[in-house]
Amino acid sequence: MDLRAVAGLVLFCGSAAAQSPAPEQIQRGAAIYERNCSPCHGARMQDPQGAADLRKFPHNERERFITSVSRGKNQMPPWGGMLKPEDIEALWAYVVSAESLYGH
Amino acid sequence: MKLLATASAVLLSAATTVAAQTLDELKNDGQLNDALKTDNVLTYGMGYHQQRYSPLNQINPGTIKRLVPVWSLSLDNNWGEQAQPIVYNGVMYVTNARHTVAIDVGSGKQLWKHTLDWPADTPRVVCCGVSNKGAALYNGRVYRTTLDAHVLALDAKTGKELWKTKVAEWKDGVSLTLAPLIANGVLVIGNSGAEFGVRGFIDGYDTDSGKQLWRRYTIPARGEKGNDTWPQDNNAWEIGGGSAWITGSYDPQLDLMYWGIGNPAPWASQSRTGDNLYTSSVLALRPKTGEIVWHYQFTPNDAYDYDACWELILAELKVNGKMRKVAMQLNRNGFLYVLDRATGELISAKAYEKINWASHVDMKTGRPVETEIAKSIREMKATEHWPSTRGAKNWQHAAFNPKTGLLYANTLHEGRMYKHLETKPYERGQRYQFIENLPLPRAADQPVGHIEAIDPLTAEKKWRVPLMDFQIWSAMLASGELLFTGKETGEFIALDAATGKQLWQFQTGSGVNAMPVTYTYKGRQYVTVLSGIGGLYWNTNRERLKDIVPQGGSVWTFALLPD
Repeated sequence: MDLRAVAGLVLFCGSAAAQSPAPEQIQRGAAIYERNCSPCHGARMQDPQGAADLRKFPHNERERFITSVSRGKNQMPPWGGMLKPEDIEALWAYVVSAESLYGH
Repeated sequence: MKLLATASAVLLSAATTVAAQTLDELKNDGQLNDALKTDNVLTYGMGYHQQRYSPLNQINPGTIKRLVPVWSLSLDNNWGEQAQPIVYNGVMYVTNARHTVAIDVGSGKQLWKHTLDWPADTPRVVCCGVSNKGAALYNGRVYRTTLDAHVLALDAKTGKELWKTKVAEWKDGVSLTLAPLIANGVLVIGNSGAEFGVRGFIDGYDTDSGKQLWRRYTIPARGEKGNDTWPQDNNAWEIGGGSAWITGSYDPQLDLMYWGIGNPAPWASQSRTGDNLYTSSVLALRPKTGEIVWHYQFTPNDAYDYDACWELILAELKVNGKMRKVAMQLNRNGFLYVLDRATGELISAKAYEKINWASHVDMKTGRPVETEIAKSIREMKATEHWPSTRGAKNWQHAAFNPKTGLLYANTLHEGRMYKHLETKPYERGQRYQFIENLPLPRAADQPVGHIEAIDPLTAEKKWRVPLMDFQIWSAMLASGELLFTGKETGEFIALDAATGKQLWQFQTGSGVNAMPVTYTYKGRQYVTVLSGIGGLYWNTNRERLKDIVPQGGSVWTFALLPD
């Protein structure tokens, strides 16, 4: 993934929504996602054949997201032993930005 | 006193004989000679040759309508069942990622169960499904590998743990899912983990103590022959993949094991110029020492995840009028290879599926001739790529019938939009792939895979059954005139091996992605398969399957209903 493009899009969209996560946080989340999450959840959250479609994750359920990633859920292993809390927050920032990044 | 001691020694040795299981028995397993004992299934692949063939013919096209389940046993496991059962003297040994279970073949009753407890986050370093492909049996012990990279021995009678050896640190990205191979008295295993940048290895262990006898890294170190196929100005070779996650085959006469070696890491190839030996290759090794006797590389500088781990089927084939001892592989890269197994000489390499990354294999150099498609992928452009990284065939093992001379396989017909991403620095225990791999639109009349009968030397199809809904990720069993395999949607099926026509099916409780076996018990032919959806296909198609196929492992055993 071209992270510069992500950053550009984020900057562009950022002005429209006051509460959007910081671009650098989204970028960090995108990098973690690309490496560790895309094998199951699909490149750029597209093609989520193997796991939950994160584009559909409700934006008001942050806590559930953080808990699921940290402790694992169903077939997903817990990531809390490897990712720091701020990494998981960055992932959340990336996930809630999916629509502005990729238009879905 | 003396007499008593003698008597008890006799009793002891008699008891040992019952539980023992010797190298000769292993050698004869699945061999079509007078010593063939159809009551037992002792080796991975139903013989060291991994032909997955049995001459048993009680169950045949005429009688199969009377084939019914005789027992089923829950395996109390939701992670998926991929194992091949081992059968010895009326006892069956089955594994999954959690349990090892001994079952009475006659009644289906559980005799003992051993449960593993690996850390909950271990699946983080398992690329393609939490599973185990089966046990090995030798000298009264059951041997298996664990997800968190241990190998252990259990007493075959009681299930008591006798020893457990740490093979590697799972947090480094190493996991173990394969069935061990016992070759010339040595317990041999290989690792998983190329998707996490491990350096692959094959290990030999002492069966009595669990002590490591040797380790053969699949990537040569600096100064060793072959290291010059890796960059000399970076450490790509130390994190270069080359797992060996499917059990090798073995020729006891030549005393050579054949192990398929996995893909290099990362999948994106910019940081590892060169052929990257011995990734995506086959190694012929001595079981006592791990010495490499010969190698052949199928996919030099593999940029496509073209693992070569699959079964290397050993057989005698007539080549230009002469019988040759060969090793055959339906490689992930779309070519069907036939090699001389004494020397590694390439005999044949024919395309058996749609391939666009290479035009053919140059028989002089033994190397695939890459196309513009390969160039485009290496230039990091999103490219329509056939076969996809999942291969023209994945691990679902093929069978070979020495009487028909044909291979029977569940193959994949799948291209994807594939793109290399920029490679980032290695991080311990984290994914090390750097690719995007998106589905292509598929026409309604385009199959997703086939069940097929293939001539090994021409790759010509004798027959081909298209699959229009789900691919088959279950191994093939060639049983007399029949073939047995299973579907992700739970059907265990039998086909006429002459035509591919389906003759019979039974709906098991979950998806079938395991390895059926056949054997006799008290003169009656049995067929056993595990049911329990899991593995890579489930991992990548869960959204399509989760509401139509429940999870849950079980063993199913079938026999003919008496007249």
